[in-house]
Amino acid sequence: MKLLFSLLMLICVTYASDATIEVIKKADVIPSIAVEDASEDYDDTFKMRFFKSLNADLNVLSIFNVDRHYRIADYDDSNVVLENKDMDYVLRYDMSEGDGDALNVSMKLLQKNEIVFTKNYRVTNREIYMFVSHAMAYDINEFMGEPSVSWMKRKVILSRIVAPRKSEIIIADYTLTYQHIILKGGFNIFPKWANEAQNAFYYTTLDDAKPTLKYVDIKSGKIHSVISSDGMMVCSDVSKDGKNLLLTMARDGQPDIYSYNVVTKHYKRLTHYRGIDVNAQYMSNNRIVFISSRLGYPNVFSKRLDTDEVEQMVYYGRANSACSAHGNYIVYKARETSNAFSKNTFNLHLISTKTDFIRRLTATGVNEFPRFSKDGDAIIFIKNYKGQSAIGIIRLNYNKNYLFPLKYGRIQSMDW
Amino acid sequence: MKSIVLSSVVTALLVFSGCSSKEPAVDSKTENVSTPTSQEVQAPETETVSTQNSVVNAGTMTMSEIESKLPTVYFAFDKYDITPEMQAKIDAAADLGKADAAKSLNVKLEGNCDEWGSDEYNFALGLKRANAVKKALVADGIDAKRISMVSYGESNPVCTEHTKECWAKNRRVDFKLLP
Repeated sequence: MKLLFSLLMLICVTYASDATIEVIKKADVIPSIAVEDASEDYDDTFKMRFFKSLNADLNVLSIFNVDRHYRIADYDDSNVVLENKDMDYVLRYDMSEGDGDALNVSMKLLQKNEIVFTKNYRVTNREIYMFVSHAMAYDINEFMGEPSVSWMKRKVILSRIVAPRKSEIIIADYTLTYQHIILKGGFNIFPKWANEAQNAFYYTTLDDAKPTLKYVDIKSGKIHSVISSDGMMVCSDVSKDGKNLLLTMARDGQPDIYSYNVVTKHYKRLTHYRGIDVNAQYMSNNRIVFISSRLGYPNVFSKRLDTDEVEQMVYYGRANSACSAHGNYIVYKARETSNAFSKNTFNLHLISTKTDFIRRLTATGVNEFPRFSKDGDAIIFIKNYKGQSAIGIIRLNYNKNYLFPLKYGRIQSMDW
Repeated sequence: MKSIVLSSVVTALLVFSGCSSKEPAVDSKTENVSTPTSQEVQAPETETVSTQNSVVNAGTMTMSEIESKLPTVYFAFDKYDITPEMQAKIDAAADLGKADAAKSLNVKLEGNCDEWGSDEYNFALGLKRANAVKKALVADGIDAKRISMVSYGESNPVCTEHTKECWAKNRRVDFKLLP
C-alpha cells in the first residue's frame, strides 16, 4: 500500500507541470468579476467596443468567471452597482478624451466595495484603445499574482495575400483587432520578428531576380538585403539573442535547412535530404525541430545542431506539415482525414520531448499557423471553420481556447 | 488632478475603514501604453522586365510568341513527379528552347500549389515541382544555366473556386521567358 502511494506521488510530481496532460477538472472555483463603465465622454458605439475588448481580455486571463453584462456606474461611488454586489471583484473604469484624440483611462479594482488596485492609462489615439484594454488585463493578472501574460502586450506580424502575387505585411495586436499595414506593394511573405523587442523584422521578397531575405528596422524604416537563394528563401526562426537564423534555402534546387549567423554572415547547411526539409525551429538543448518528407508525407523530425542524426518526433497524423517549438514542447498541425479534398480537418496537437503523451488542442475545422508565445504560456493560431476565420488563443495551463473572429482575407504567414 | 482625487479617495477609505488589513495597491503613475509604430515602410520599387514587347531578333518569332507555345506542367496532389503525358510536353518545350529563335533566351520556372497547405512545406513542394521540370529539361539537352526557379506556393492561383478541378489547375509549373 505504501509502495502504491509512493508510486502515485512520484507520478504526480513527475507530471505535475506537464502541459501535454490535459486538465479535465479543476477542484477550486475561480473568482467572479464584473466590469462597470463610468465614462461620460465618447459615444455608445465606442464605449461598447472598449467594454467588449476588456471583457475578452479578462476572459483570456482564464483566472476569472467574467460577467458579460454591461453596467454603468459612477466612478467615485464607494459601492458597486446593485447587480454586482455578489461579485468577488468589480473592475470599474472611466474613459476621458485628452488633447488631440488621446484616450485617458482610469481604472480601479474593487473587492467587496474596497479598492484594492488602481491605475491610469493614456494612449495618443483612441483608435488603438485595444492596447489599453490588454494593458489593463495584464496589470490585473499581475496584481492577482498569476503567471505573467506579457504576451498579451506583444505584437503579431503577418502577411496577407491581397491578389495573386501581391501581398501586405501587417503589424497587429494579439487579437488582430488593430491592424497596421507596414509594408505594401510587391510580393513580400514570411515575416518574422528579428528580436525580442519587436523593433525589426525579416521577410522574403519574391520581386527580385532570386527570392531574397530582407531586414527592416521599423524605427528608421530602412530595409537591407540579407541573403538570397534561387527557388526558395524563408526565415523559419530567429534565435533568442537574435544572432542566428534558421533558414530554408534551395541553393541547388533542394529545399534544405541552413543556419545563418547575422554577425559573421556565414551560413551552414544543417540537413541533406533529396526530398523536402522546411520549417526549422530552435528547441532547448542545442536541438532543432523541422518538417520533412522523409516518410513520403510531411512529418515532424528533430536533430541536434552538432550531429547529422535525425529523429522522428510524431507517430500520429497523415500529414503534419507545420510546427512551432518552445523548450521541450512542440505544437504541430495534423491532417486528420485521409480524403485529400473534401471537408478536411486539420487539428493542432502538443507533444513534449520528455513524455510520450499527445494532447489534441483543437477539435474542428482547419487550424493552422500555430505559434508559441515567447514564454511558452500560450499558443496563437488561425481557425477556419464553416467559411469563418478566427484567431485563436490557447491557454495551455488552463486548458482553454479563445477565438476572435477575423474579417479579412487569407493569411499567408504569421509570427508572434 | 484625477490621481489626486483617486489618492484622496483611497486615503479616505483607508482612514475610515479603520482596521482594514488589505492595503490597496495604488499605482498613481499614468502608464503611457506603448503604441505601435505608425510609420509605413514602402517596399523598394522593383522594375519589372516586360516580356510582352521584347522582340527577339533571331528568327521570326517574338518572345511572347515563343512563351505562348510553352506548356503548363500539371501535378498530382502532394506530388512532384512528372507523368508520361507531362514528359511529352516538356520534351516539346525543350525542342522549342533549342530552336534558333529561343536559343539566347533564359527561362524561369514558377512552381505553384493548390490551397491545401499554406506553410513553408507548400512552398517547398512548388519548388520541387519546378526542380523536377528543370531536371527533365536538362536531360533533354537544355543548359542548366539558362534555367532559374521560384516557388509561389499557393499564392499565385489561376483558379480560385473551391473545386477539385480548380485545385488541379493550380498544381502546376509555368514557364516564363527572360531575355
